[in-house]
Parts: sequence; C-alpha cells; structure tokens
Amino acid sequence: MRNAFSNALVTAAEANDRILLLTGDHGYALFDDFRHRCPGQYINAGIAEQNMIGVAAGLAKSGFHPVVYALSAFVPIRVLEQIKLDICCEELPVLFIGDGAGVVYSTLGVSHQSTEDIAALRAVPQVRILSPGDAHEMKAAMELAFATPAPIYLRMGKSDLGVVHTSPPQLAWGRLLSVRSGSGPLVFIATGSMLNLAVTLAQEWPGSAVWSAPSLKPLEIESVVSACSPHRVVVTLEEHNIIGGLGGAVAEILSQEHPLPVCRIGVPDQYSELCGSYAYLMREHGLDLDSVRVKVQAFTKKHPIT
Amino acid sequence: MAYSGSTVHIACAFSLVEILAVLYRQHLCLGTGPKDPERDYLILSKGHGVMAQYACLHELGWLNEKHIQGYCTDGTPLKGLSDADVPGLEVNSGSLGHGLSVGVGLAYGALRRGTTQKVYAILGDGECNEGSIWEALLFAAHFKLTNLLVIVDANGFQAMGPTTEVMDTGSLEDKFRAFGFEACTIDGHDENVLNETIGRLMASSFPGPRAIIARTSKGKGVSFMEGRNLWHYSRLTEKNYQDALAELEMVEAGRGGVRL
Repeated sequence: MRNAFSNALVTAAEANDRILLLTGDHGYALFDDFRHRCPGQYINAGIAEQNMIGVAAGLAKSGFHPVVYALSAFVPIRVLEQIKLDICCEELPVLFIGDGAGVVYSTLGVSHQSTEDIAALRAVPQVRILSPGDAHEMKAAMELAFATPAPIYLRMGKSDLGVVHTSPPQLAWGRLLSVRSGSGPLVFIATGSMLNLAVTLAQEWPGSAVWSAPSLKPLEIESVVSACSPHRVVVTLEEHNIIGGLGGAVAEILSQEHPLPVCRIGVPDQYSELCGSYAYLMREHGLDLDSVRVKVQAFTKKHPIT
Repeated sequence: MAYSGSTVHIACAFSLVEILAVLYRQHLCLGTGPKDPERDYLILSKGHGVMAQYACLHELGWLNEKHIQGYCTDGTPLKGLSDADVPGLEVNSGSLGHGLSVGVGLAYGALRRGTTQKVYAILGDGECNEGSIWEALLFAAHFKLTNLLVIVDANGFQAMGPTTEVMDTGSLEDKFRAFGFEACTIDGHDENVLNETIGRLMASSFPGPRAIIARTSKGKGVSFMEGRNLWHYSRLTEKNYQDALAELEMVEAGRGGVRL
C-alpha cells in the first residue's frame, strides 16, 4: 500500500509541478523515489507541524497544490485548529496524508497512535476523508484526491495486510464500495486496515455482504441505506475509536433513515495500555479475528438474524 | 464602528493605525484589487486589530459605508476578528499564531514562482507567546524569505495585563536577530520613521527575512484609553465615544487631515 501511495504521488507530481510535498521531518525511505524524481517539489518543514499547515495554506492560496505528509497522530490531531482555520474555512486544495493510523506504531506507545483522527475531522466542515482498504484502493484514492481541489485527509493505516481487490476499483466520493455481494442477514462495512479481516470473517456467515468505506466523508445517505437495507444486522469495522468514526457515521444515517441494529467494531474508548506488536495491540483492543468473531456472535444473539 | 457595533478590542486597533496607513499608502502594491494574484500581501496576524484595517479597506473603496455601519450586527460580513472572506483580509485570525505561517507560505510561494511580491505580516507582541510564531520564524530564516517583513505591533500589553508581567518576551529585536532576521526597533506611531525603515529594510541586500519591532501605545490617540488595558475589553458609551471622537478630530486637524 505504501508503494501504491508513493507511486501515485510521484506520478502526479511529475505531471504537475504545482504539487509540493511538505513533510514534518517524517517519511524516511518512503520519499526516496519522490526526492530523486521531483527534488524541487520536496520541502522538509522541520519538526514544526503547526507552521507546516500554515505554510501549506499560503502555498495553496498562491496556486500550489500542497501534499502534507505526517503521522496521523500529529496531522490532524496536533494541528486541528490550523486545519480548520487556515485550510478548511477557505476550502483550500491541500491533501493531508496521515500515516500510521490506528495502532501501527504499536511499540512506540500512545503518542504515535491515532484512534481519534476520523472523529475529530468529521466535525470539521469542508474537509473530505479517505481511508483506503488495500493497495488498489490507495491508488484509486490518490487519483480521486488529486482530481478534487479541496481539503482532503487520506488516512493510511497498516499497509502490509494484503490486497482485497484484484485491480484499482472505481471510487466516488460518498459511495460505499461493494467487495462481496450477498443477501444473507448480515452486512459488513469496513474501512482501512479492517477490510481484509471483514472479508475473512464474513465467510463464516454465508450470504453476508461486504462493503468497503474508502470515502468516510462525505458518506452518502443513499449509499449506506441501499447497502444495508437488504440485511437484518449491520457490522462496522475500523481501527479507530468506536466513537465518531465509520460506525458512528453509519449509525447516524441508519437511525434516521432505516433503523437497523449496528454492531460497531473498533477500538474501545481507551488508550493502549502496554507495549507490544501490532498483533498484540489489536488483541488488546479486541480487533483480532477471534475477538471480532465473538463480538459479532454475541451481537447476533442479542439481535437474532434467523 | 466600535461604538455602533458595541464591540471590544478598540485599543488593539488604535495601536497599529500608523503602521497600516504607511503600508497602504506607501508600500503595498495592490494591483487591480484584493484578488489580484500578483498583489503584495498584508497579513494581519493579530486579528484583534481588524477594525483599523476595515477603516483602511473602506478608504480604498473595497468596503462601503453600509459594511462599516453594519459592523458586528446581525447578518453582516464584518466580524469582530479578521476573516479571510472579507476582500483585503488575507487570513482568518483571532486565534493567534496562525497568520504568520500563512504569510510565510505566501512568501515562499512567491519566491518559488519568481515574482516580486512582498509579504507584510503584522503580529502582536502578546501574540509572540504562541509557539507557532517561532516555528514560522525558523522556517522564514531557513528558506531565506527575503520578501517577508514582519512588523510587531509592540504595544506592551496583552489581554490580562502588561506583557512584562504576563509573559515577558524580553528583547524581541534580539530574538528576531537570533532567529536570522534583520531587525530593528522604532517608534510605531511615527509615520516618517515607519516609512523610511520599511523602505530601507525592503531595499536591503540582507539574504533573509526582515522584522520591525514597532513600539506602540495601546489605545493611541485617545488619552483615556492609552496605556489602560481595560480598553482591550471595554465597550464605548455615548459619552466616551464623543470624547474619543473629539480627541481624534483634534489629532487629524493637527495633521492637516491626512488620509490614505
């Protein structure tokens, strides 16, 4: 997925010298190719994220298309006010890349983990949020982002979980993406790193449908309702706090338009307590395959599907 | 405006009147108007002084009498703090420590595009409490933004008291120099000195950004406001509005009615 990101960025920047990459002293090795092929378009703004966002605003106001790369723990969280006031208020074309979303930096602790970024940005008007689920969605998401002159946050989570699609899908703002069709009682909607697990888990409930949510904002009412209405129970999956993310967005729409029980799978409202591998922390937060299966089983007991 | 809109921050505006007047009258190249892509940029990073800028924009004809009269009333565009939707205001300010970084981005963009555009960024000395200001200064010096002039409206006060008591910045000139700026301290109410200093700094061959620490008086021009920080928050009554007007008219008469 990181290669897909890097390739899409280099391709776009080579074709358009108004694309400038700003990084807050992050991205070691990731930008080797970019720096080699587009050396004049690479700006290391130093360990100074607040200023970097303001600089991106100034560049966007004078005709450039800045891409701001940082860990998602720092952009958007550390600079939420700059994103709101300097970028989104004026709807400037700035693409934010939040790397390491979720608990990717598992051993580094809470400072480098990001499970609140979607919720924080969903409440900021004008910004759009992309959360690709595999390398193919990443390529499509980058192309969609560069074709849309607006503030966009692209959330990049765990990147080596394998692909779900066989080729880059057609993405559209606000639309869920069908991954597996089915008319059974369950529908799974997953975003980012949880898409692969959703596909695996869904096989245990024959006839389940699986959708990916690469566009978290906007998220069209019609798309969510048409994906969920043929089913009895909705399961959402995300490597993000269960408050305010994909599950929150789906539940908001369904409660108003087509009430259905929504089983929100995500990080409980808590911080990672201990050090450990990515797999360890996913277990700690109940996001590994076994834990999610148990949660879905319990939910379907409470809300029978037969 | 402050009286009819019944708003606060009038003293913050009075300290930078001469700075704005000299910039608009003698230095800013505004081209065809507020959206000219080749214009110089005036960034009011201390958005609390925006009333003074509204007055300038009115004289330029970019705001009309109706805008000014409607200030801070229901359904009107002129807000109590700087808003980039208003023609002539480049940034959203009010939350301090934002505008300078945007100005730095504009200056960097202008250098990349090879234009002769200049960026003038007005900060408050209280605003220099914000860490983002110092991030922006580092960037401006590192990338040698020779087209950037930072003017600190150093009126010596911030919301809750004198800057020396709230958060003493010490010598701002020394700090700007240490950050790689060509810097000097002048009387921020002396228009001739302001004009000469801005001209000299922008013509200098110094290979980096420039800064002026403009010593000013909060509430300048109205004796009962000067140096009295309660005018950061106070609203004008009918009586002190008339008293202030009388004093300001005397000042203007003494200058021969200087306008933009």
